[in-house]
Amino acid sequence: MPSFDLKNLTIKKYSEGLQKKEFTALEATQAFFNFIKETDKRIGAYLSLNEENAIKESERVDLAFAKDEPLGVLAGVPLAIKDNILIKNLPATAGSRILENYTASYDAGVIQKLKSERAIFLGKTNLDEFAMGSSTENSGFHITYNPYDNQRVPGGSSGGSAAAVASDQAVASLGSDTAGSVRQPAAFCGVVGLKPTYGAVSRSGLIAMASSLDQIGPITKTVEDAAIVFDAIRGEDPLDATAAKVNYGKELLNPDFKKITKLTIGLPDEFFKKDLAKEVEEAIDKVISDLRTLKIEFKRISLPHARYALSCYYIISPAEVSANLARFDGIRYSRIKSQSSPKNLLDIYLTQRGEGFGTETKRRIILGTFVLSSGYHDAYYTKAQQVRSMVKDDFVKAFKEVDVILGPTTPTPAFKIGEKISDPLSMYLSDIFTVPVNIAGLPSISIPVRRPLEENSLPIGFQLIGKAWREADILGLGQFYEKIHQSN
Amino acid sequence: MAAIINKKELKHIASLARLNLTEREEEKLLKDLQNILGYFNELQTLDVSGFSPMAGGTSLRNIFREDDSSKNTNLSSGVHAFPETEGGYLKIPPVFE
Repeated sequence: MPSFDLKNLTIKKYSEGLQKKEFTALEATQAFFNFIKETDKRIGAYLSLNEENAIKESERVDLAFAKDEPLGVLAGVPLAIKDNILIKNLPATAGSRILENYTASYDAGVIQKLKSERAIFLGKTNLDEFAMGSSTENSGFHITYNPYDNQRVPGGSSGGSAAAVASDQAVASLGSDTAGSVRQPAAFCGVVGLKPTYGAVSRSGLIAMASSLDQIGPITKTVEDAAIVFDAIRGEDPLDATAAKVNYGKELLNPDFKKITKLTIGLPDEFFKKDLAKEVEEAIDKVISDLRTLKIEFKRISLPHARYALSCYYIISPAEVSANLARFDGIRYSRIKSQSSPKNLLDIYLTQRGEGFGTETKRRIILGTFVLSSGYHDAYYTKAQQVRSMVKDDFVKAFKEVDVILGPTTPTPAFKIGEKISDPLSMYLSDIFTVPVNIAGLPSISIPVRRPLEENSLPIGFQLIGKAWREADILGLGQFYEKIHQSN
Repeated sequence: MAAIINKKELKHIASLARLNLTEREEEKLLKDLQNILGYFNELQTLDVSGFSPMAGGTSLRNIFREDDSSKNTNLSSGVHAFPETEGGYLKIPPVFE
């Protein structure tokens, strides 16, 4: 039997290898843990590992294969899970000190689904605290390094999940996306990241940040893998009233070339007028010319209010954050160690929250509390909700003329560690292309641009935004884009 | 709408949010909030007439499940996380002094 090679492994290849008995799930899982232990000191993708359980589960999967039990394509596949998604009996810190002693008491909806597929969970990955950030520098524990350049950030907030997949520490991972937190790190780390339509995937067991914007999404090496994981985790959930029952057809996993190439792609003026880094502009141009070889029609469109989406987001989201994080009182989810003799209950709250939360978290709680407070509520929060309707309406109008919208995922490639951390506004601006999508609740995928790489080239991602519930369109188009360069 | 948040207001907001802030944190926050709230000024001149506030992310309505009390998710499983318990209940200092 050839020795197990975990480099450049996709879900498809892994599954085929298991079926052909080229390796066992146990061997593979052990190989991943050895590799993670060798490499994670310099990457920092993981916060905790799930070795004992993962090994046991891999043995059970091997047994099931031996008995010829019917197993899906995700059986035995080693995944990394962002640490704001609950796996029962494993730590769930959300990247925060205030949860440093918390062990999850139930499985998230998506975890239940992946468990029924017999997927393997290697461990929990690093993130910006409570998923707030664009660089993973806000983690209460340590930073994660971009596998392409260790002086640079992997992006955020799902930086650990993206770095794990990009460095072959996992075959695929789950992240969460509220303003770009799956797509932006995917773009920075040269992997694929999908944010589903709001409501396509259950948020039960996802530690809530902004409930009207959060969605769990896969980070994978190929678009095909993203489709596989999405298909496994989507669907309604009795514990999430916002998760919709939607009939996705066969096209989700088996895109039809003729149908897909008949789609019209919209290019928004506003996404191209912006200050794009030169290499991003050139990369997107290359994507467009590549897609033209498929004889796909392009059309210029306008999203006149997309530029307001960032302000809109940074009012609505902190408001929701201030409410969602009220539950972290230093008592409910295990007290952090620092406080020994509190004066009274209020003292516990003030101290635990003051010490347990990091700078960005406190900044957003204060901002959210402010915009909801009496005297400012209408001017900020209500207005932002109206702007949200306007931004959504822009997309509705645009999607009457086109089927898919294409643009850059980020204005620049990965920035340097420490570059933006002391200027929150400049950090927020890195979400300028991703955030309108969350505001409108639409699906979007970031795909690495295929281009000749010079030395020190950094990955660049482009975004395909679809109509609500039309993940099949963006996944299909993405797969045919990847096939253009198959021989390269 | 161009609100300038001052130190007194910040202290008030922090106490509403049950957050202790150090002197240094207060200084930095005042500066940051100035910049961020200043950025929001672009919304001031935006005409939003005709647009209802969009509350939430879903257009789903009335999503119900069976009123079934026999299904309990994790009745006793949060208890392991309580810092202090008495008879299976969470023990905390008095709410009122």
